[in-house]
Amino acid sequence: MPTAHAQSVPQMASRKEGTGSGGTSSSSATGVVGKGKGKGGSGDSAVKQVQIDGLVVLKIIKHYQEEGQGTEVVQGVLLGLVVEDRLEITNCFPFPQHTEDDADFDEVQYQMEMMRSLRHVNIDHLHVGWYQSTYYGSFVTRALLDSQFSYQHAIEESVVLIYDPIKTAQGSLSLKAYRLTPKLMEVCKEKDFSPEALKKANITFEHMFEEVPIVIKNSHLINVLMWELEKKSAVADKHELLSLASSNHLGKNLQLLMDRVDEMSQDIVKYNTYMRNTSKQQQQKHQYQQRRQQENMQRQSRGEPPLPEEDLSKLFKPPQPPARMDSLLIAGQINTYCQNIKEFTAQNLGKLFMAQALQEYNN
Amino acid sequence: MSRFFTTGSDSESESSLSGEELVTKPVGGNYGKQPLLLSEDEEDTKRVVRSAKDKRFEELTNLIRTIRNAMKIRDVTKCLEEFELLGKAYGKAKSIVDKEGVPRFYIRILADLEDYLNELWEDKEGKKKMNKNNAKALSTLRQKIRKYNRDFESHITNYKQNPEQSADEDAEKNEEDSEGSSDEDEDEDGVSAAAFLKKKAEAPSGESRKFLKKMEDEDEDSEDSEDDEEWDTGSTSSDSDSEEEEGKQTALASRFLKKAPTTEEDKKAAEKKREDKAKKKHDRKSKRLDEEEEDNEGGEWERVRGGVPLVKEKPKMFAKGTEITHAVVIKKLNEILQARGKKGTDRAAQIELLQLLVQIASENNLGEGVIVKIKFNIIASLYDYNPNLATYMKPEMWQKCLDCINELMDILFANPNIFVGENILEESENLQNVDQPLRVRGCILTLVERMDEEFTKIMQNTDPHSQEYVEHLKDEAQVCAIIERVQRYLEEKGTTEEICRVYLRRILHTYYKFDYKAHQRQLTPPEGSSKSEQDQAENEGEDSAVLMERLCKYIYAKDRTDRIRTCAILCHIYHHALHSRWYQARDLMLMSHLQDNIQHADPPVQILYNRTMVQLGICAFRQGLTKDAHNALLDIQSSGRAKELLGQGLLLRSLQERNQEQEKVERRRQVPFHLHINLELLECVYLVSAMLLEIPYMAAHESDARRRMISKQFHHQLRVGERQPLLGPPESMREHVVAASKAMKMGDWKTCHSFIINEKMNGKVWDLFPEADKVRTMLVRKIQEESLRTYLFTYSSVYDSISMETLSDMFELDLPTVHSIISKMIINEELMASLDQPTQTVVMHRTEPTAQQNLALQLAEKLGSLVENNERVFDHKQGTYGGYFRDQKDGYRKNEGYMRRGGYRQQQSQTAY
Repeated sequence: MPTAHAQSVPQMASRKEGTGSGGTSSSSATGVVGKGKGKGGSGDSAVKQVQIDGLVVLKIIKHYQEEGQGTEVVQGVLLGLVVEDRLEITNCFPFPQHTEDDADFDEVQYQMEMMRSLRHVNIDHLHVGWYQSTYYGSFVTRALLDSQFSYQHAIEESVVLIYDPIKTAQGSLSLKAYRLTPKLMEVCKEKDFSPEALKKANITFEHMFEEVPIVIKNSHLINVLMWELEKKSAVADKHELLSLASSNHLGKNLQLLMDRVDEMSQDIVKYNTYMRNTSKQQQQKHQYQQRRQQENMQRQSRGEPPLPEEDLSKLFKPPQPPARMDSLLIAGQINTYCQNIKEFTAQNLGKLFMAQALQEYNN
Repeated sequence: MSRFFTTGSDSESESSLSGEELVTKPVGGNYGKQPLLLSEDEEDTKRVVRSAKDKRFEELTNLIRTIRNAMKIRDVTKCLEEFELLGKAYGKAKSIVDKEGVPRFYIRILADLEDYLNELWEDKEGKKKMNKNNAKALSTLRQKIRKYNRDFESHITNYKQNPEQSADEDAEKNEEDSEGSSDEDEDEDGVSAAAFLKKKAEAPSGESRKFLKKMEDEDEDSEDSEDDEEWDTGSTSSDSDSEEEEGKQTALASRFLKKAPTTEEDKKAAEKKREDKAKKKHDRKSKRLDEEEEDNEGGEWERVRGGVPLVKEKPKMFAKGTEITHAVVIKKLNEILQARGKKGTDRAAQIELLQLLVQIASENNLGEGVIVKIKFNIIASLYDYNPNLATYMKPEMWQKCLDCINELMDILFANPNIFVGENILEESENLQNVDQPLRVRGCILTLVERMDEEFTKIMQNTDPHSQEYVEHLKDEAQVCAIIERVQRYLEEKGTTEEICRVYLRRILHTYYKFDYKAHQRQLTPPEGSSKSEQDQAENEGEDSAVLMERLCKYIYAKDRTDRIRTCAILCHIYHHALHSRWYQARDLMLMSHLQDNIQHADPPVQILYNRTMVQLGICAFRQGLTKDAHNALLDIQSSGRAKELLGQGLLLRSLQERNQEQEKVERRRQVPFHLHINLELLECVYLVSAMLLEIPYMAAHESDARRRMISKQFHHQLRVGERQPLLGPPESMREHVVAASKAMKMGDWKTCHSFIINEKMNGKVWDLFPEADKVRTMLVRKIQEESLRTYLFTYSSVYDSISMETLSDMFELDLPTVHSIISKMIINEELMASLDQPTQTVVMHRTEPTAQQNLALQLAEKLGSLVENNERVFDHKQGTYGGYFRDQKDGYRKNEGYMRRGGYRQQQSQTAY
């Protein structure tokens, strides 16, 4: 899993009175892409919806086309502003790709420079989040969590856009906005990932990230152009959508799922050991206390003073509890995979039935 | 003084004397006639001799004069130089000195010089003033003279006692001389007198010169008599010599002392007493010195003594007149041998001496016993010649050694009545009594074994790619011949143990050679019975297989030491394997159970074991038994240290791990080059067998997560091949195999074939086999078969049915073979198919799960274990009453197993494709 940039978020915190200019004013012809999953935006956050400019989408796609390949991910900064309960993302720029040669490359400096330059050409320069490409939906990672946490910590309404190029290549644009739930934010602030803390926070893998519905908005001019183009394009161009080849994608997903399950297993084994150790120690502690008590009783009967109290925690150091965050993340990732597979197979089954019907009709 | 009375110097003087006389008396010719000559031409001889003597002494006196001058001007450096010259000059004059005794003047200068130096040494002030060179020279000279003077100690003390007296005596002698009376009655006296006189000659006057001449006349006579005496005593032992001399010396001393008081009437009684005392002291001292010297043979005297006995022996061995008997020769032999192993002994000279001794012995017909004995010793000294274990014999030495052993064997064969053996004690040897069997101590087998080791050493130390190596290798035939002779000899006379040992030697020289003759004979079956019979009789001994069989069986039966048997077995297996008798070799290997405990053997045996295993593997490969070949080679190849394990070279990287000593030991273990097994061939055989095994296996288990590797090294090579950014046509053997593997993976046997068998590979590998063509045909067939299997594994899923004829065409195999291969695959459940006999087709059953199904199954398995683990966590929380879950879990598992086995067919029908 490639690392996400855990960059420090620049100083511009929420500045709500942003003077939106450019094409953001027009609000007609919006196409909902992300199938907003009911609970998205259910939190008490001010932002209920993310409105993305077509430009941003194209820029992200272009960025991946140019630099991302295979399991490598590309990342970048989202710029925009908050308007009422909408987060409008009006522009973005990519992070430069890392190479070993320029280890001393200053990212913060780069971001500042970029934003300053963009400001000069009268573009929104407020930092509202970041985007990242993903490989078969494997984005639920510690790095992403940390990164998003630091963003959200600095800029409350920031989101992360996840772009799945593979799904997009299959015919449907896959772009989703996520942010951490307030619960998880609390936990992350505490930096306590022990089982007890997580239990207390009542956090499960389902309540880690929340998806924010996305709206893609284009200017009228662009819409007109789109209409124009649609007329010209042949149906054949959309054949990816009808591709029946499922095995490769499914296999990859299964493979990844399996890897995560393995990790999960290991995690559980680790936890198991911890549990066993704790209980063993508990027993020892108990025995020790009992012995102590008995001795004290004897002493008392002999008229001697009882033994001094000793610090039990020093004698029995409790074993280090394993951090549960990882397993939570893995569970979250497994969940994502499962969702993906479910979605994919559902679509595919539909396609297969359709193909069968076609076949029968032809015969 | 002791120096002059040691045996060595004595004899040396004689030898040089005889040489001198030959020069100085060319007329004399025969030494025995000399007295006659003397009387006839006295004047002439006199002059010549005198000049020789005078020359030496004059030289000495001149040097002494310079030293004295130097002393006067305190030039120590000059002193040192001159002293060194003096020492040399004295050495030259030794022959004369020996006859005459030490010249008095010489002793005086030595004593004076020492005193002078001590004086200088004590004088701290003076020393400080001295310049650096002088100071340095002073200390050196002081040390030198101290050391030097130790030889003359008695003389010097004597001189120091009465320097006056000796001068007086000289004067008296002079008087005597003028009177015309000389001490002719006793030559010793004459010598001493002359010697004493010499001291006077420091400032030679005409008178003294005249006197000297006269004295020397007498000397001449005395010399002769002395010489004769010497020759007589020559053959006796040196000990008696020295004793005699010592006696002489005492006599001389006493005479001198006796004489002194008589001639010097005016000397006081007290003085006389003192002299008596001095004499006693001196006697004691000289005696002690003699003893000391005898004890001290290994000490600092050695430098002088070392070479001396050798030189001494030479003339004595040729000595005229002495009757050369066994006792004398043996005694001489022992004398020579005594010097053996000592620090300063000249080993080359010793060998020469022994050879001379043999010559003498044979010239005098002393019988074979003595000669055998001396020969034994010659060979032993030849082996001794190199003190260092790592260095090897020089070629000439080696040749000598071989010749000598051959001669020895000749003698032993010619004289069956000679018994040799280690167990014969020196005392019980019988060297001369011809009536009884001759008994000689010595072990021919040990010598031959040692010779063999030397041969190995020579081969190890020669550059294997040089002509020299070939030259050395030619000696191998000789070595073998010798071993064979010893074997024949021991078969008659030796114990079983010895026979085993010599058999092992023979085996070690036979096992690695491919018997081309026998091979040829096998190929061409006998035509005519009469001719073949003759052939057989002729070839019986030559057929190495028969020979090995015979020798090894004897060892198996008779040997009691485990090591010889182990080696014999290994060699036997190696030999079998080399000649493609795979089953015999394998059975022998398995029967011997060597694999179980070979790790306890010593490294050379382990190396032999490794070699044998490798040869076994190669043999299996030639037979087309790839699996066996792979298994046999796996251990050697997987370590990546084949070179080291086979004793064919040291690995560089482990250099820092081992120290110098270990490296030397390892170097000694190396197998000589002509025994090497070609490492590239070995690797190629291994890789090709791995390929033939691994590629079909990989194809069959492509989607199996728990697939294990058959050969790690092969996989490594594949990976290396994959990593190459640009894949050119294969160059090395490995690249060829990798390229072939890739072709085979696709079932493309023709490409595979062209990669494995082509010009390059033929040159590198295949032509090295004795039956290259057979191996190649086998290989082609193997490639075809395995490619067919791979093809079926890989592509069976895309076929509903496939005609066997098509397959047979594709892989150029005949139909029955294809049929049998497919049947085998079906039986082994490798291929889910059935054969349709009438149409000769293979009908696929499609029971193989697809990739997704496989993945899903794996996922299910993993989830199972996840659930299990999860339940355990639950157990902890709930206590230990999780029995219910466990039961359920088992059920779940069973269900899973059921699914895995039979579930596909149903599953498949459900899943629409």
